[in-house]
Amino acid sequence: MDVLEKYKEAWDNQPENSNKVSKSEIYKMMKSKSSSIVKWIFIIGLIEFILIGSSFFLFDIEKSIEAYESIGLNKYFMHFNTKAGLCIFLYFLYKFYANFRSISTTENTKSLMDQILNTRKTVRNYVVINLSYLTIFYLIALVLMIKKQFADLSTVQTIGVAVASLVALAVMLAVIWLIYQLLYGILLNKLNKNYKDLAKLEE
Amino acid sequence: MSKSLEDKFLDDFESNQNIVHKICRIYTTNQSDHNDLFQEITIQVWKNYAKFRGDAKFSTWLYRVSLNTAISLFRKSSRKVKTQNISDIAFKIKAIEYDDTQEVQLKALYGAIQHLNDIDKALVFLYLEDKSYREISDTLGISEVNARVKMNRAKDKLKKILNP
Repeated sequence: MDVLEKYKEAWDNQPENSNKVSKSEIYKMMKSKSSSIVKWIFIIGLIEFILIGSSFFLFDIEKSIEAYESIGLNKYFMHFNTKAGLCIFLYFLYKFYANFRSISTTENTKSLMDQILNTRKTVRNYVVINLSYLTIFYLIALVLMIKKQFADLSTVQTIGVAVASLVALAVMLAVIWLIYQLLYGILLNKLNKNYKDLAKLEE
Repeated sequence: MSKSLEDKFLDDFESNQNIVHKICRIYTTNQSDHNDLFQEITIQVWKNYAKFRGDAKFSTWLYRVSLNTAISLFRKSSRKVKTQNISDIAFKIKAIEYDDTQEVQLKALYGAIQHLNDIDKALVFLYLEDKSYREISDTLGISEVNARVKMNRAKDKLKKILNP
């Protein structure tokens, strides 16, 4: 007899769980709040959107455009940038919400994991786009500033300013990246592992 | 007068709760996590209950939502599963193998399943529950052929743990 057969027999004959839950307890549970990772991805994603998106509303855009103009950036280019940024923000926010709404535990396991990871990817793409944009913008501003405001510095001093600015940028990006890895690493560790295991089944 | 959706849900869920308990026992290692997972499954099943149209059996649908919650949505509060050396477990299992009361065998079986990865757990669980390969492939979203091949591998892993 297959070794599993006798265990299977034991499985088939197992008594009902001794912790039987009554209807009133089930009622309490069904009304309680979910603490699933989907909920956390939604909350954290929303916080990211609020943090990055709020820059459109918190800062005095006209004032910063003036400041950028003073170092030689075109005013119309800056206005265009702000509008484009807002459009990208709204597009991603809509996509994030649509993805989140499409998550359904009634789908099969593979589709469900795809949906969850897609929601997360939307936020990640948004953050990557913003950080790339910030980096490019920072570099352009740095070059312009060195040209215009530090024109009287010696070559060594100019290199010093450039290196210090680049290090500051690298540290900022590294910190953001670390927080990101930690946050989503903890949250999605199990899901990523299971997703890989499931993908292996299809190899 | 027809029953409200809540009453129907309570009837269906209460009478099928044993399925949920079995899944909780496979995917958690202590009573507190068991209760947390049970609660999360209850929430997820209720949240989607309006979508359940009764074209399949409630239990079939419950398998899917419960396994999905255990595999993809639930985060254990105490993260670390007690990792024991496989040979230690095998030794313990072997020692109790001679005692062939079904209760002991069942305990050994649950203990062994807990050492499989989450996906293999689902495969083995669906096998133990006599689900067809078609149902298994529908539940997990993999092809039927793959379900068959991987099921055999998962069963082999389980056998090795139970009877090294």
